[in-house]
Amino acid sequence: MSLLNEFTKGIIKENPLFRLVLGTCPSLAITTSVDNGLGMGVAFTGVLLGSNIVISAMRRIIPDSIRIPVYIVVIASFVTMTDLLMHAYTPAMYKALGIFIPLIVVNCIIIGRAEAFANRNSIVPSVLDALGMGVGYTLALVLLCTFREVLGAGTFLGVRLFPESRAAIMMILAPGGFVTLGCILGFLNKMQSKTA
Amino acid sequence: MQDYFIIVISAVLINNIVLSQFLGICPFLGVSKKLSAALGMGAAVTFVLVLAGLLTWFFQVYILNPFNIGYMQTVAFILIIGALVQFVEMVIRKYSPGLYKALGIYLPLITTNCAVLGVAILNIQKDFSLVKTLVHSASHAAGFSLALILMAGIRERLESADIPKCMEGVPISLVTASLMSIAFLGFSGLI
Amino acid sequence: MLDIMKLAVFLLVVSAVAAFGVGYVNSMTAPVIDKQALRMKTDSFKEVCPQGEEVKNESERFLKKNANPLIKEVNVAYKGGVPVGVIYTIEPKGFGGPISILAGFDIGARKVTAIKVLSQTETPGLGAKAKDPSFQDRYKGKSAEADLEVTKTPPTKDTQIQAITASTITSKAVTSGVNAARDHFAGNFVK
Repeated sequence: MSLLNEFTKGIIKENPLFRLVLGTCPSLAITTSVDNGLGMGVAFTGVLLGSNIVISAMRRIIPDSIRIPVYIVVIASFVTMTDLLMHAYTPAMYKALGIFIPLIVVNCIIIGRAEAFANRNSIVPSVLDALGMGVGYTLALVLLCTFREVLGAGTFLGVRLFPESRAAIMMILAPGGFVTLGCILGFLNKMQSKTA
Repeated sequence: MQDYFIIVISAVLINNIVLSQFLGICPFLGVSKKLSAALGMGAAVTFVLVLAGLLTWFFQVYILNPFNIGYMQTVAFILIIGALVQFVEMVIRKYSPGLYKALGIYLPLITTNCAVLGVAILNIQKDFSLVKTLVHSASHAAGFSLALILMAGIRERLESADIPKCMEGVPISLVTASLMSIAFLGFSGLI
Repeated sequence: MLDIMKLAVFLLVVSAVAAFGVGYVNSMTAPVIDKQALRMKTDSFKEVCPQGEEVKNESERFLKKNANPLIKEVNVAYKGGVPVGVIYTIEPKGFGGPISILAGFDIGARKVTAIKVLSQTETPGLGAKAKDPSFQDRYKGKSAEADLEVTKTPPTKDTQIQAITASTITSKAVTSGVNAARDHFAGNFVK
C-alpha cells in the first residue's frame, strides 16, 4: 500500500463521516455555517494528528490490556490543549463551537483510528492517516455546512447570497442537520450502488 | 419546586438531548432498530448518566475547583466515565449475565456516548447544586430513552415500508429523526 | 500482583506526562485568556456607559451585606472626577442557568443607559435572543424611577418591556436583574 494511499483513503473511500458514519454528533450540531465547519475540522485534525503520532510512537510499549485508557488519556490531553489554545487565540470560534470542543474526546473517529491504525503502524503512515481522515472529515463537514448555511441563512462564509426572509430557518435548526446528512448519505449510497 | 419542574420538562422535551442538542446520535442510530434493544440501552444509559453526573459533580466541586485545575475537566471527566462504565459492566456481568448478553457491545460504547460527557459538562456549566444535577441528569437520560424508544418503534414499522434502496438504514433514520426533531421543536413554546 | 502494579505505574506515568503537557499549555494560555476577558469587560463597560471616561470598581463601598444577591459588582463611571454613571453586573437566574448582564445607569438623567448580556445558556433561537440588540435596546432610556415589568404585547406604558416571543422566563429574568440594579441605583445614587 503506497503511502499516498494512506492519505487519500480518508478523503473518499473511507471518509469517516460519510462512509464509516462516525463522528456524527458534532457534524450535526455545529454545521450551521461554513466557518464553523472549517474551525471544527481544523481542531479535529489537530487532535487526531497529535493522538496518532503519540500513540504510534508508543505502540510498542503500551501494554495491551490498558491500551484503551492510555488512548483516552492521550486524546483527552490533546483535546484540552486544543480547547485552551482556541480559547486564547481564536475566541470567536471557541464560543461558536462551545461544548463540542471538549466533546472531540468522544469522537469515535479518533479512538477508532488509534485502535485500528496508529497502534499497529509506524509514525509516518500514521501521520498521513491522520491528515487524510482529518481532511476527509473537514470536507464532509464543509459540505454539510454549505447546504445548511446557504439554504438556512442565505449566506456562504458570511457573504449574503439572498435575502434572509427567503431562507429556510429550519435548515440551521436541529431538523435541518438530520435531514441534510440523511439525504447526503442516501445520495452517496445510490452513487455507490450505481458504480458497483 | 418550579425550578425542578422546568429542568425536567426542558431536558425531556424542549432541549431533548438527541433531537435538539445532537448528543448521543451514534447509539441513537445504532441501537434503535429493535424496541427491546432500545429499552435495554435506555436503561443502561440512565444508570450511567445519573451516576456519572453525580461523580463528576463531586470531582468538580471538591477537586477541580478548589485546586483551580478546571482545565483538567475533560481529561478527568472522561476517565471517570470510562472507569464507571467498566465498573458497571463488571457488576452486570456478575449479577445479571442475561442482561449482560443482551446489551452486548453497547455497554462499553456508552463511554463514547457524547450524551454522557455532554450532560456532565452541562451540569457544571449551568452551575447546578447536587440535587439539581441528579434531576438534570436523570431527565436527560429519560429524554434520551424517549427519543430512542420512539425511533425504535418507527423503525420497526419502516421495515415493512417501501423505501428506495439507497435510503435504507441510516439515511431514512436520519430523515425520520429530522421529522421527530421538528415535532419536538413544537414544545419550545411550552415555558 | 506485580503485573497489575506495572500496568498501574505505566498508566500513572502516561497520565503524569499528559497532565504536565496540559498544565504547560494552560500556563501559556491563561494570561492571554485573562487579558481577553479584561479587554472585553472594559469594552462592555464603554458600551453600556459611553459617557464615562474612567470606571472604578466600588463594589466594596456599595454592596453591603443586605444588598440584593443578584448584584455582583458595582462600578462607578467618572468623567472629570465627577460620577456620571453606574454600571451594575447582575446575575439573575434564567431558564438554563445564570445570565450575566451589565446594566448602565445615568446618574444625571436617572435613566437606564443600556444593558448588555454578557453570557447566557438559554435556548438557542429563543431565550438566547436576549443577547440580540433588538431585545437589549428595549431597555435603553428607561426611567430609573420605577420597576420595569414584562408584557407579551407591545408596551403601552413607559415602564413596560416586551418579552421575547416564547421566552417569557428569559425576559423576566433579565428584567428582574435590571430591576434589582435599578432599586440599588435609586437608593444609593439618586438624591
